[in-house]
Amino acid sequence: MVQYIDNIFYPKTEAVIISPTQLINTLKILSQGLGITISLFFIVIFLSIPLGLVLTFMSNSKLGIRTRRGAEIYPLRWLARGFVFLMRGTPLMLQLLFVYFGLPYIGIVLERFPAACVAFVLNYAAYFCEIFRGGIKSIDPGQYEAAQVLGLRKFATTIKIVLPQMIRVAIPSVCNETVNLIKDTALVTTLGLADLMHMTKSLVNSLANVTPFAVAAVIYMVLIFGLSKIFSILEKKTTY
Amino acid sequence: MMIQVNNIKKAFGDNRVLRGVTFGVERGEIISVIGPSGSGKSTMLRSLIGLERIDDGSIAVNGEKFVDNGVYVKEREMHRILSHSGMVFQHFNLFPHMSVKKNMTCAPVTNRLMTRAEAEEKCHTLLAKVGLADKLDAMPSSLSGGQKQRVAIARALMTNPDILLFDEPTSALDPELTGEVLEVMKQLAAEHMTMIVVTHEMGFARYISDRVIFMDQGVIAVDEKPEEVFAHPSNARLSAFLGAVHTKEAAN
Ligand SMILES: Nc1ncnc2c1ncn2[C@@H]1O[C@H](COP(=O)(O)OP(=O)(O)OP(=O)(O)O)[C@@H](O)[C@H]1O
Ligand SMILES: [Mg+2]
Repeated sequence: MVQYIDNIFYPKTEAVIISPTQLINTLKILSQGLGITISLFFIVIFLSIPLGLVLTFMSNSKLGIRTRRGAEIYPLRWLARGFVFLMRGTPLMLQLLFVYFGLPYIGIVLERFPAACVAFVLNYAAYFCEIFRGGIKSIDPGQYEAAQVLGLRKFATTIKIVLPQMIRVAIPSVCNETVNLIKDTALVTTLGLADLMHMTKSLVNSLANVTPFAVAAVIYMVLIFGLSKIFSILEKKTTY
Repeated sequence: MMIQVNNIKKAFGDNRVLRGVTFGVERGEIISVIGPSGSGKSTMLRSLIGLERIDDGSIAVNGEKFVDNGVYVKEREMHRILSHSGMVFQHFNLFPHMSVKKNMTCAPVTNRLMTRAEAEEKCHTLLAKVGLADKLDAMPSSLSGGQKQRVAIARALMTNPDILLFDEPTSALDPELTGEVLEVMKQLAAEHMTMIVVTHEMGFARYISDRVIFMDQGVIAVDEKPEEVFAHPSNARLSAFLGAVHTKEAAN
């Protein structure tokens, strides 16, 4: 596709400055890549935040089993913490390659895009889990005591007292993490997915002109600026 | 008996904090609990409402035991027995993300003890009673310490508790704000609310309460009427404690 565009619209040029028409065409082509970048972003956000929350509850779970030898095992907690350790202890790039190239060896074959989604969701869920866990830890124990003496049960306490206060504490770090996510999406280029980064690189190659790098930089910055705005509104809304 | 406590014991590791505490509280009685720091006052009070798990002994509320010789009843049962006890904390423990109204109506509405409309009406009445009718929609962060504590008391009253426990309700307040909280407590006393109050306010212990319990090293060393405790302290450690408090108050 890039070859085609190259021939029709972009006479090869050594110039660093490109014409307005070329700029518009550059934007058009890069915005094709934006589709993958943005859909990956939203899929990861919408799946990894709930999964991170589940991991948080698992990781705080007091569910214990006593073995016959008298040792205590906490299956949910250990599972969650082990998973988080694994995800944070290895590069996302490696996880991405493992899901796409490694899983087929155990019979799990995923297309490029679903593979990227799986790797990103698992990785980001681990980071969100740690953020949420920190938020919950920061809640004053007096809050639980007040809830208990008022007769609120555990579930109601979690929903009405713990989560709202946790979210308040977590918002800045969640914002940070989503900003990282936008930038990390560029890694899917390694799987050959035509995301914003991929389109930029091929355009630079075919144009023999580095301007698309600058355009891509601006696009990433605009996305991140928008995100930060949304989060600062959220932050204001949850201030008490 | 509103509350009957029998020989309760509690240790944190090797630290035996309660070493056999026994007392009873009649309906309508007001008990002040005094004693040196670390004597186990808070631990004892918190045990009465299930915030601490005791190792041994029994506690009954309204004739129903929720722990018998160190064995607790099932959680659901405990929840039911303790549903008519309320507690007010030193640091108020209001929910910071909820308005005053939400703070008060959240638990009773969630537990379906009343409809939202009933809860809101009750909330109005109680806020007026503690002199904060205009703070219905205020957030806790905008209130002074004294106002927060009055909201906390009103919140504890939402479910018409049979007994209210107070753990140093004025200790976190600036001296000029203790009066408004003590005033509300006096009002409750006049209405014959059963109260157990851990306090450093000797005025409250002396003039408002019906009985004073002096705790020392995990036991009740003295349990008498305030006149006896303050006029003729029978116990050397009590005299020393009162002397120290007196000196401190004089110094302030
Ligand atoms: N959760 C806990 N874990 C370990 N030790 C504790 C705990 N709570 C209380 N203690 C210890 O128990 C002892 C009694 O504490 P408690 O809070 O009941 O005393 P108190 O009479 O209320 O003192 P104060 O007047 O300072 O409030 C203290 O030595 C304290 O360090
Ligand atoms: Mg105490």
